[in-house]
Amino acid sequence: MIPPPVDRTASSGAPLVRVQGMTKSFGGVRALRGVSLEVWPGEVHALLGENGAGKSTLIKILSGVHSFDGGAIEIDGVPVAFNSPAESREAGIAVVYQDLSLVGSLSVGANLMLNREPTSRFGFLKKRQLMAEAENFLKRHNIPLDPRAKVGSLPFAYRQMTEICKALMGRVRVLILDEPTSALTSDEEQILFDAVETVLRQNVGVIYVTHRLNEVFRISHRVTVLRDGANVGTFNTSETDMKTLVAAIVGPKHATAEAKEVLEGEALHERQPSARSDGHGLLILTSVVNDRLRGVDLSLRNGEIHGLAGLIGSGRTEILETVFGLRPIDRGEIRLDGSSLRIRGPAEAIEKGIALVPEDRQVQGLVLDHSIERNFSLPRLPHFSWASWVRRGAETEETEAAINRLSIKAPGPSTRVRNLSGGNQQKVVFAKWNNKRTRILLLDEPTVGVDVGAREEIYGLVRQAAQSGAGVLVASSDLSELILLCDRISVIVDGRVIVTLRRDEFRDAEHLHQFIQISQTDQGQAA
Amino acid sequence: MTDRIARTVETAVPERSRASALAQTLLRSEWPWMLYLAFVILLVVFSFASPWFLSIDNFLNIGRQTTLVSIVAIGMTFVIIAGQIDLSVASALALSGMAAALAMAHIANFWFVGALAGLGTGALVGLINGALTTRLAIPSFLVTLGTLSAARGLAMMVTDTKPVIITNERYFRIFGEGNLLGLPAPIAWTLAATIGGVLLLHYNIFGRRIYAAGGNPTAALYSGIQIKRVTTWAFVLTGALAGLAALVLSARSHAARPDVVQGMELDVIASVILGGCSLFGGRGFILGTLLGSLIIGTLNNGLVLLGVSSPMQLIIKGAIIVAAVAFTKR
Repeated sequence: MIPPPVDRTASSGAPLVRVQGMTKSFGGVRALRGVSLEVWPGEVHALLGENGAGKSTLIKILSGVHSFDGGAIEIDGVPVAFNSPAESREAGIAVVYQDLSLVGSLSVGANLMLNREPTSRFGFLKKRQLMAEAENFLKRHNIPLDPRAKVGSLPFAYRQMTEICKALMGRVRVLILDEPTSALTSDEEQILFDAVETVLRQNVGVIYVTHRLNEVFRISHRVTVLRDGANVGTFNTSETDMKTLVAAIVGPKHATAEAKEVLEGEALHERQPSARSDGHGLLILTSVVNDRLRGVDLSLRNGEIHGLAGLIGSGRTEILETVFGLRPIDRGEIRLDGSSLRIRGPAEAIEKGIALVPEDRQVQGLVLDHSIERNFSLPRLPHFSWASWVRRGAETEETEAAINRLSIKAPGPSTRVRNLSGGNQQKVVFAKWNNKRTRILLLDEPTVGVDVGAREEIYGLVRQAAQSGAGVLVASSDLSELILLCDRISVIVDGRVIVTLRRDEFRDAEHLHQFIQISQTDQGQAA
Repeated sequence: MTDRIARTVETAVPERSRASALAQTLLRSEWPWMLYLAFVILLVVFSFASPWFLSIDNFLNIGRQTTLVSIVAIGMTFVIIAGQIDLSVASALALSGMAAALAMAHIANFWFVGALAGLGTGALVGLINGALTTRLAIPSFLVTLGTLSAARGLAMMVTDTKPVIITNERYFRIFGEGNLLGLPAPIAWTLAATIGGVLLLHYNIFGRRIYAAGGNPTAALYSGIQIKRVTTWAFVLTGALAGLAALVLSARSHAARPDVVQGMELDVIASVILGGCSLFGGRGFILGTLLGSLIIGTLNNGLVLLGVSSPMQLIIKGAIIVAAVAFTKR
């Protein structure tokens, strides 16, 4: 998608929003130390930075959640200070968060008109008029949403679009999108980008917070990079490249050659094909059929990193869940080390040395209110106990060792997991399985919502596991991630493995993506 | 930035001695000190208001009166931390008492026959609660609302609502009137249940599993915890403790009656919540529950000593419970 040009002459000469020299401290911690940002009408301004760089603090100040210590905010050249989210909203700033503020049981139209429903003289709802108004709005903005569809039954991208429309129905000048694509498939991404384009045509300014650099190039006009609470720089997107941005984000100390390699996406296939995947079959699936799988054939060797590529809903997550014992098998067979594997649940899978790092760490991976220590020991409680009594010394000691080994940024083992950043939370999930007993490591979207630095460290952990002889099965929407990590990649379409490619057979993300798309259409025609 | 936080926190925490680790485990600083403060304030207020309040006799009296609620609340702590609720405890208590008395009257008049029958009946009610909740995936609120009614009905049916007299002296001494380790038997049993609860919840892997099952059932499942089994055991434990409370009650009154302690589940649940358990599961601790039940017991006792009428007592108690929870919740 080519972004439309910014038309600055249309505005009065002042930017929509100007943030200047913004400072903010929490206790003794300086979250922002002089951040500046300008957003013009019709512009998509990407905001980049590692977790903790100050992006969310800045957004929370703009949306009136936090106050600021020093500096200034101007809207249309007029200085403002928000005391509450309502005041920020009044000034025309709308934030679309990841956790959407929609009522799932109501229709799109009812959600859009929430709290401004047309009513008759006696306070009864005028349903027809409500739907008509919603429909008019959607038509006027050319948005492909059915006002009668129930929000709860819509795919995530459409729910997000509803949320954006809801923001648009008010008098929005600046729309802030906070990591909008982290839960989207590539098709759904396109829907979101189209919606953003629609928004731009209303001369709204968009602040786009993301971890994914390729999106920056797809959609934004300018990029501002924050690091440690300060501006590193603002770039015109058309005049910059991945290398520059990655260097700006991670700073001089972390800019490992490999981190650049990940994001350049070009030097990827030049990685040495590893010799470690010569082992024999560790895990073999033969025509496995259940409620979501339609005959999966797959083999995983000792020391191999095996990717599962496919769209969301293709069955890649379900393959992992089936191996982990979460889904019973109707037909077919799973063999582990040559003998048939019969398991009835995760407890038995874990017993056999199978570990799953699930897709959603907050919902499936961690007990957020509990300490790192407690989360860490949970899958191996018998190991941390003597005759069922918990050996606390051993527990704390091993947790501390894991915190150091995985370089988890936390004050100590008793820190609540809720208080850690996304990357560090994910490392805690990895730590649970980072031990000799893990023979098969199942990873589902292992780096979603994880910043660049932590992502590299997680890749290191995955490679380490494989080097020590474990088999790794990794499902991911991020194809360049699979290409970077995997020895082989199986393409999953509609509950089946369509093809398994060796390292010398897949070239780059685009190539792999085309493969998935083509297989998808083939499959559709065959059916 | 994170490093700096790490450093300040590290320097702020003193070296972890064994004693402070123990204190941390038992007192769980995550629940505000308000609770302890509230208890002290309550004691001070009643001490000034009533000349009879501040005496060892009266405190033993409070202890005895609180026993039933305390013992059952220890079990309820497990159930609530596991993210469930058990409304049937009062009915389970009544039924267990009937079972104990009937067993001694008709099978053999030995104290342990009564004890086994009482504990076993309570545990069985718990097992039914646990099994229905986990196997049929019915919310425990509804399951135990059902057993609340059914167990009470059964207790009334077995003797056609007549009480059953107990004649075993040994039984009276062990559970009701004697002294164990220099303490009145009911208080000794409360203490035993508390110590057992602390060990099981805070030092045993069973406790860890309970916390995980309530804190995030999905994450617990993905970590290999057998949530259904663990949850069922929590109900069984609560039922068995209701059985223990039934033994204490029937030994004190020399009889089992089918209509006792109606509505006690409210005091039990209030104690647990007051003691810092989250109704959403995953959070709470045993000593908090004990303190919660003592606060409610003290409140009952003090209001009686002050001569407050019993309808008024109910109103004041209700208001204080809601206010205390609202206040301590921040």
